[in-house]
Amino acid sequence: MIRGGRAIDGKRVLRLAGGLQMRTGNLLAGACLVAAALALAALATGLGLTDTGLADLFRTLAGESLPGAENYALWTVRLPRILLGFMVGWAVALAGAMLQSVARNPLADPGLFGFSQGSMTMIMLLLVFLPAAPKSLVVLAALAGGLTVAGLLLWLVGSERSSGLSIVLMGIAIETVLSSFGSLLILYLPTETSIALSEWLAGSLFQANWTVIAAFAPLFVLSLAAIFVLGPAMATYDLGSEMAMALGEPVGRSRPLILLTAVVLSSAAVTAVGPLVFLGVLAPHIAGFLSPAVARARLFLSALMGGILVLLADALTRGLGGSLPMPLGLSLTMVGVPLFIIALRLQALRKLQSH
Amino acid sequence: MDRRSLHLLLILAMLAIVLVVHLFFGFHAADLPNLIAALQRFEAQSYEEAVLLFQRLPRTLIAIYAGGIAAASGFVLQSLVRNPLASPATLGVNSGAALFLVASALLFGASAELQGIAALAGALAGFLSSLAVARLAGRRNDPRGLSLILSGALVSMLFTGMTNALLLSDPARRAEFLSWVTGNINHVYIDRLAMFWWIGALSVAILLLFARPLTLILLGADKAASTGVNVPLVSRFAIGAAVLGSGSAVAVCGPIGFVGLVVPHIVRPFMGNNLVHALPASLIVGAIVGLAADLIAREAFYPYVVNTGLVTDLIGGIVFIVIVKRFYLSPGSREAS
Repeated sequence: MIRGGRAIDGKRVLRLAGGLQMRTGNLLAGACLVAAALALAALATGLGLTDTGLADLFRTLAGESLPGAENYALWTVRLPRILLGFMVGWAVALAGAMLQSVARNPLADPGLFGFSQGSMTMIMLLLVFLPAAPKSLVVLAALAGGLTVAGLLLWLVGSERSSGLSIVLMGIAIETVLSSFGSLLILYLPTETSIALSEWLAGSLFQANWTVIAAFAPLFVLSLAAIFVLGPAMATYDLGSEMAMALGEPVGRSRPLILLTAVVLSSAAVTAVGPLVFLGVLAPHIAGFLSPAVARARLFLSALMGGILVLLADALTRGLGGSLPMPLGLSLTMVGVPLFIIALRLQALRKLQSH
Repeated sequence: MDRRSLHLLLILAMLAIVLVVHLFFGFHAADLPNLIAALQRFEAQSYEEAVLLFQRLPRTLIAIYAGGIAAASGFVLQSLVRNPLASPATLGVNSGAALFLVASALLFGASAELQGIAALAGALAGFLSSLAVARLAGRRNDPRGLSLILSGALVSMLFTGMTNALLLSDPARRAEFLSWVTGNINHVYIDRLAMFWWIGALSVAILLLFARPLTLILLGADKAASTGVNVPLVSRFAIGAAVLGSGSAVAVCGPIGFVGLVVPHIVRPFMGNNLVHALPASLIVGAIVGLAADLIAREAFYPYVVNTGLVTDLIGGIVFIVIVKRFYLSPGSREAS
C-alpha cells in the first residue's frame, strides 16, 4: 500500500495507506544515519587496549564463552558505553531540536541555556542535604532543577520578541553562576563522593553500566513516542506562535508539554552522564545540513545525529587520545565551539542572501 | 569641594576600612598592637605575626592588584568597545592568558618569567580571536554588539576546554595549576606578583596618561580628531594596555573573572563617563571588590577556603544577568533598538 509520488513542493515522497507521507530524501538520510550509527558502534567495540571486537561479540551471542579479560572489556566496559552514549546523545539532541522550535531560536541548547547545570546543582544539593536519598529522588531532583532554570529563563527573558542572542547570553550567565555554586557545594561533600562527582561534572561515560542503561531505556522508548506525538506541532511552531495558533495548534497546552519533554530528556541525560554542552545545538544543525526536514523527520534525524556525534566523540577520545582520559563533555566542547561558530557564520550568510 | 572629589574621598575611606578588615580579620583584639608593631618592623616574632606578614599581606597585595587592574581595564574596554558587557573575562582575555600560560609551562617547560610573557601573548590572542569570531559570525543587524559578547563567551569556553585538556594530559603537574586555573589568590603567588607588577603599573600609567584623549574619543571619533587626537593610535594603545594589564593579573593569580565587568557599572553612576575621574575611581573600587571577594572566599565557608575566582564568578554572573535584563531586555531598550 505504499505509493511513490511528489509533494506540493515537487520533492519526492512516499505515501502510506493512512495518509502519512514521508520524503524520500529524509528516509534515505535516516537510513544512512542508522547505518552510520551501527558501523560506528561496531568499530567502537574494537577500540581499546584489550584485543576484542565485533567477531567476539557474535561468538558470545552464538553461545561460546570468552576468556575473562575479553569478556570484561566487551560486556562490562565497551557495550554499556556505546549503548548509553548513543541514547544520551539521542536524548540531548532531541531536547535541543524541540527547544529550537519552541523558542524559535536556532541557538537553543539545553546545556547553553543552563538546564543541565540546573539539574546538576539540584542533584548536588540533594547529595549534600540528604546523602542517603534513593536513586529515584536523584532523578526527580534533576528534573526539578531543569524545570527551575527553564522557569527562571522564561521569567528573565520575558516575551519571545526579545532577540535570540540575549537568551543565549542569559543562559550562559545562569550556567556560570550555577557551576560556581556547584563548585562550592562540592566542598561540603565527603571526599569519596566528591571525587566520583567531579568526573561526572565534566560529562563522561566512565560510569556507564547496565543498571543505568536499564533505567534509561524506558525513556528512550518514550522519546520515540514523543517524536511521533509532538512532531507535527514542531512544524507549526517553526512559523511562530501566532501562525501556530492560526493553524489550529493548541499553543496553551502543547508549548508547556514540549518544554517539559525537552527538560525531562535533558535532565535524564544529565543524571546518566553529566552535562553535555553544544550537542543539542550541533546535532540538529548538522542533520538539517544533510537533509532539510520538518516536523517528525527533523526530530528523528536530529536525535540520530546526536547519538552518532556522541559515539564519534567517544571513539575519537578513546582511539586518538590513547592514555588521555578525556571526559566526553570536554571533547564535545572542543569540537562543538568551532562547529558552532561555523553555524553562526552560515546563518549570517543566509541572512545576507535573503536581504 | 565638588561632588566627585567627595565620592573619591569616600571610596578611599572604604578602601582603608576593607584593607584593615582584610588584614586583621580573625585575630584576637588583644594581639592587635603587637601585630601592628610587627607590620611596622616587618619582622615576625610569633606565629600570629608570621601569618600576618607572610600570608595575609601577600594575599592583600595580590587582591588589590588583580581587582584594581581588572576594573580599570574593564572600564576602558567598556568605553572603547561601547558595550556594557565588555570586560577582560567576557572578551576571552582571561581565558587566553590562562591557556597560553599553562601551555607554555606544560609543553615547553617555560620558566616563571616566560610563563608571564606567554600570558601576555595569550591575553592579546584571546581578545583578537573574540574580535575575529565576532566578525566572522557578524550580523549586520547587531547594533548593540551582542555577537561580540557571544563570541567572547565561545572563545572563553574553547580556551578553557583546551586548558583543561592540557592539564588532564599531564597528571604530574596538574595539581600545580589546578587551583590557579580557577583564579586563586594565595600567598604563594607573591613571587609572581614581584615579577609582574610593573606590567600592570605601566599599563595603568598609560591608561591614566591617555584618560583625556580617550574621553574625547568617547564623544565621537570625529570630534576627537578635530581636537588633534590621533584616534586610531590612542584607541589601539589604550586597548593594548588594558588587555596586557589584565593578562599580567592572570599571570599572577589566575583568571579572577567578572570584577572588570561589575566595577564599571558601580563607578559610572557616581563618577560619570569622564575617564579622568572614573579611571582612578575604578582602580580603587576594583581593589575594594577584589579585597572583599577574597575576604568572602577566605572566611565565609569556614573551615574551607575557596578560590577567589569562584566567588567573583558567582557574584559576577548574577550582575551579568541583571545587566542583560536591564540593557537588552527591558521594554525601553527594545524600542530604542
